[in-house]
Amino acid sequence: MPEGLQIAVGDRVVYPNQGVCLVSAIDVKEVAGQRLTFVTMRREEDGAVVMVPQAKVQTIGVRKVATPEEVEQIYGFLRSDSDKADLDWKQRARTNLDRMTQGGILGLAEVVKGLQVLSELRPLPTKERELYDNARHLLVSEVAAALNIPEVNAEDSIDIVLFPPGRERPKRTVAEFKPRGEGEEEELGLDGELLGLDGELDLPPEEEEAPPEEEEAAEEAGGEEEEAPKGRKKAAPAAEAGAEGEPPKRKRGRPPKPKPEGEAAAAPAVPKKRGRPPKPKPEGEAAAPAAPKKRGRPPKKKPEGETE
Amino acid sequence: MIRVVTLDPYDDKQLAKFSRTLYTAFGVGSEHSGLVELPAGLSEPLNAEKVLEQVKGVRAYKDDKVLYLTARKLKERELPSGSAPTLGFARFGKDKAIISSHGYKDLEVGYKPVSRHALHQLGHLWELHHCLDPRCSMYPPWTPSFAAGEPTFCTFCREKSEQKIRLAKS
Repeated sequence: MPEGLQIAVGDRVVYPNQGVCLVSAIDVKEVAGQRLTFVTMRREEDGAVVMVPQAKVQTIGVRKVATPEEVEQIYGFLRSDSDKADLDWKQRARTNLDRMTQGGILGLAEVVKGLQVLSELRPLPTKERELYDNARHLLVSEVAAALNIPEVNAEDSIDIVLFPPGRERPKRTVAEFKPRGEGEEEELGLDGELLGLDGELDLPPEEEEAPPEEEEAAEEAGGEEEEAPKGRKKAAPAAEAGAEGEPPKRKRGRPPKPKPEGEAAAAPAVPKKRGRPPKPKPEGEAAAPAAPKKRGRPPKKKPEGETE
Repeated sequence: MIRVVTLDPYDDKQLAKFSRTLYTAFGVGSEHSGLVELPAGLSEPLNAEKVLEQVKGVRAYKDDKVLYLTARKLKERELPSGSAPTLGFARFGKDKAIISSHGYKDLEVGYKPVSRHALHQLGHLWELHHCLDPRCSMYPPWTPSFAAGEPTFCTFCREKSEQKIRLAKS
């Protein structure tokens, strides 16, 4: 048993990403010839049972349920004007994942608060909406367990802080989400477009930031047909990068053939017919229609002596 | 099935319209299951949690949800972070909820806000949490814009409630 966490039967613990569990047994079992001590936990929400080797209890992040003092701190944190969520979705996803698994109850509160404040700027994408719901569910159940109150009251106590009665939620601007220290850049005359913030936000939330799983899935399923729209999407940033002086990113695949200069300005070419091109007609025969060609083997030439 | 039980007299036509709204929102049957007496010893403003504990039940199946409707005022709840204005109450994932139409002359006048509160509390019974979308009925009910909205759910909450209802049926 690790030193930091002492678990006994009947304790209430929090399993990361699963919720509040009750330790129902600690017993020794023989698995593959080894005698291991297992901690058996039953999730309070639905009674699901999980068995964890005692040596791994702390490494997977199991912890005791928060104390009422810690919950008070959570209310204080939710009330405060904390740091805003990162606008870079990859960075945000990574941070939120860490907070959910290793951040304790404060990590859950940070995810809820961060995404709630972000939703005041723009609607959350589906994946983040689900993450917000999961984080809120885990936070509510832990607060309810810590204070021994019904879950509805725990949720309302959190939301009274997040959505104070009689007040509407404020509308946020991109400027509020800039990390501290970027104000100096504004003084230099760098506006949102150059910083790459405005262009990013013009897109609808779903299209703007595809979560990594969706992107991967699209790449796997897409094949050649998917490449065309992707190329179009990447063309704009590449052009912007070129304007700023950076070398444009090299496109994958074979480079397009250079067009001859004379043809470049010519009228749009007639669509090329497929197959073998027609034979050029001799000039003299142009008027007379050609005799239909007989099919089959050509007749044998008769020897000259036999003509008579 | 959603069973609407009244603790005070209401007009039948208005109750029928109210039930139709619940049916439209959740896709499960809804009907008025009669009038019951308020438990003795409770005075206005009513303590919603006590009412739900003490009120007489109605005949219902295991997965039915019972919604009590009263015209009397509900008492504000004292929570660890402050007091919560209470126009309804439901225990998360359980089968009974209560809402109040206090402040409206009848259901016709307060049709939208009362229906929205009903959806909100029934949503809690189907384990929905509060929502970020101000147009959704699961938005926190003490916000000023809540009463003005339509009794509908956002896509996320509707899909989640449908999933919960499917799971409850199977």
